[in-house]
Amino acid sequence: MPRLPTSLLIKAWEENPLLPRLLRECRTLVSARNELRWLRERAQRETPSREWRTRLRAMCRQRSRGVPLQYIIGDQPFGDLEILCERGVLIPRSDTESFTNEAAKTIQGMAKSRNEHSNSKSLRILDLCTGTGCIALLLHQLLSPNFNLKIFGVDISPIALNLAQRNLAHNLEQGYLSEAASTQVQFLRADVLSQGTSELPTVEEILPQLYEHEPKSHEPGSGIETESQLDLLISNPPYISNKDFWNGTTSRSVRRFEPRLALVPPQSTLPDGCNAEDIFYHHILRLSLKYLARVTVLECGDITQARQVVKMHDSMTKSLAQSGEEAKFDVRIWPKTEQECDENGFHLYDGARCVIIRRM
Amino acid sequence: MTGDIKVEDNSSLSPVLLTRARLLASEHSKLADRLSDSFDAKVAKRAGELAPVTSVLREWEKANESIVELKALLEDGDTDEELRSLATEDLDSTREALPAISDRLKKALIPRHPFADLPCLVEIRPGAGGDEAGLFAHEMLRMYMSFCTQRGLRPTILKQDLEDGASEDLLSEGVMEIEAEGAYDILRTESGVHRVQRVPATETKGRTHTSAVSVMVLPSFPESGSGMDSALNFEDPSSDYYIDPQEVRVEKMRAGGAGGQHVNKTESAIRLTHIPTGTVVSMQDERSQQANRRKAWQILRAKIAEARQEAREQELVELRRGAMGGVARMGRGDKIRTYNFGQSRCTDHRSGTTIHNLDSVLDGGHGLETVMESVRTWMADREVEAMLAEEMIKEKKEKK
Repeated sequence: MPRLPTSLLIKAWEENPLLPRLLRECRTLVSARNELRWLRERAQRETPSREWRTRLRAMCRQRSRGVPLQYIIGDQPFGDLEILCERGVLIPRSDTESFTNEAAKTIQGMAKSRNEHSNSKSLRILDLCTGTGCIALLLHQLLSPNFNLKIFGVDISPIALNLAQRNLAHNLEQGYLSEAASTQVQFLRADVLSQGTSELPTVEEILPQLYEHEPKSHEPGSGIETESQLDLLISNPPYISNKDFWNGTTSRSVRRFEPRLALVPPQSTLPDGCNAEDIFYHHILRLSLKYLARVTVLECGDITQARQVVKMHDSMTKSLAQSGEEAKFDVRIWPKTEQECDENGFHLYDGARCVIIRRM
Repeated sequence: MTGDIKVEDNSSLSPVLLTRARLLASEHSKLADRLSDSFDAKVAKRAGELAPVTSVLREWEKANESIVELKALLEDGDTDEELRSLATEDLDSTREALPAISDRLKKALIPRHPFADLPCLVEIRPGAGGDEAGLFAHEMLRMYMSFCTQRGLRPTILKQDLEDGASEDLLSEGVMEIEAEGAYDILRTESGVHRVQRVPATETKGRTHTSAVSVMVLPSFPESGSGMDSALNFEDPSSDYYIDPQEVRVEKMRAGGAGGQHVNKTESAIRLTHIPTGTVVSMQDERSQQANRRKAWQILRAKIAEARQEAREQELVELRRGAMGGVARMGRGDKIRTYNFGQSRCTDHRSGTTIHNLDSVLDGGHGLETVMESVRTWMADREVEAMLAEEMIKEKKEKK
């Protein structure tokens, strides 16, 4: 990280002695000022009487050591939800918020084009590597007015699952989620990478629960396949390569304070042609094909990785076609156009992307 | 029957306005008939708007009738002496009361401002005068916050951009939202350029500086247009205040470099550009991008609606010029008020009112209320003039 110019530090100090501390992470005065205001508001709300100044100073000290703002304040807005944040669980990113919105839009667009009676329509949604539960919960908020939902959030980390559960309760309590969410969203522990050899259940093992209590007559005439059909498979899995974790691509604060478990995939045996950082995609795409997911949305670190995921999907479907299974897919990388990038806060070439696969 | 009354008070109530009042009163009685048959919210609303004109008109007509009767009584030679003196007394007092009634009738005739019932946004920006203007802009923000709080109008700060520079008190742009219904009507006296004259804290030679702060009062529309009058519904393409979402460019600012899990950015600045007018609103005060988006849209809608309303008023002014020559109208660019610290006075240049207790103005208290009230009276007088001009133009057209 380049040094901050002394003149900027002096200017910041003259404005408020706490600002230079925040500048270390924020880098710009505008951003530091905003953070100072947010921290002050929080300190004043949490600490009655005059103690809040002491509290604010402590908060700024933490921030200057690189502790993420969300771990200090304890939450992060995500869509219209308030997601509690805690050490040990990845902080929700605004990029993920955009991908989740786009996923909901895709689902709504498809339902509209098929002219479905939306209220009666059930949707089965699986969110793998759910972390704070932010994607699962936001999807409920966005889709519950139009659909009868069943959402599973899956994670390997007990700390994450505990937090996800509290996030469900917190957003119900705040009235950000409808009452229905208390029964329609569930968080479960499973290992996405497991092939039945570890003690943890695999996704296949927990998935039958997603179909429980459902009338069998659902969509008559389409047979067993529809029975096991998923409407949306979505994931923001660990996707950072070991190299990018250490070479400065990953920011220092993320590296030091956020859980590596949620960022870098663990070492495991790799199928042919699969990069270590893409191993989750391999397993998730396999699940997507197995359960005939109508829509699959995968967050990727950048365009190159997104293209890699598209390639993996292509080669998997090709080998399926050879064994006689016919299926058509519409695969796109989003955001793509300049307008999509501008409206959602993405750089035209850099930064995260998501792959959206629709089974036609 | 009313047509037969000889009008005593021609000097203060023009026939044009009287015709208008009678037109409205007859509309009111028709509506009242319809309402007694079946209730309709729209009709009821219109009838409610017309009720004050109707009742004041009735009062005015009654006063005139009694003047005619009393005069007849006095002119009649058979009237006995005692009755005559009573009648004289009565005539005097009725004549005295008449101008006040006429005045009330005129005011009742002023069409309500289209935004009068809405909550509002107040945008404050420093003008000429450097740091001193930024400082005073901040003081004005506090003045209005306190004014609104004292009156239970529920003000909140929507946006507070501080200037890059010395102290925390330098405002480069502030927007406050006043949620109470009708807040627009209360605060619309404040739009314009406010001038401050004082010796700034930084001035070493004791010289008085003059700087300026511009204030804009904007109508605040609810988030969704449904439930609003169709005339005010910004989602309705037939409304004057409609905004086509296709004409607004949305940008979330972001630099290059790694994204996603690699970084954890806390800011979520958003910028909206209304392409046809070039109006730009940016918002970054909130942690939530949704909240920033909502606030930015609220301000954009307010600015465009105010600009369109302003344009419409300007058209009317042009029309009136033809009818009655120069018309006093204060635009947003005009200097409307001076706060002079040396003399501890506040003068409003529209109403000509001066308050000799600056503190009671700056703390948003009684002083400010008095100044605003004087401006309200001034505005009402201007609006009566404008209305008169309009009616005259209408009449001319009809004669043609």
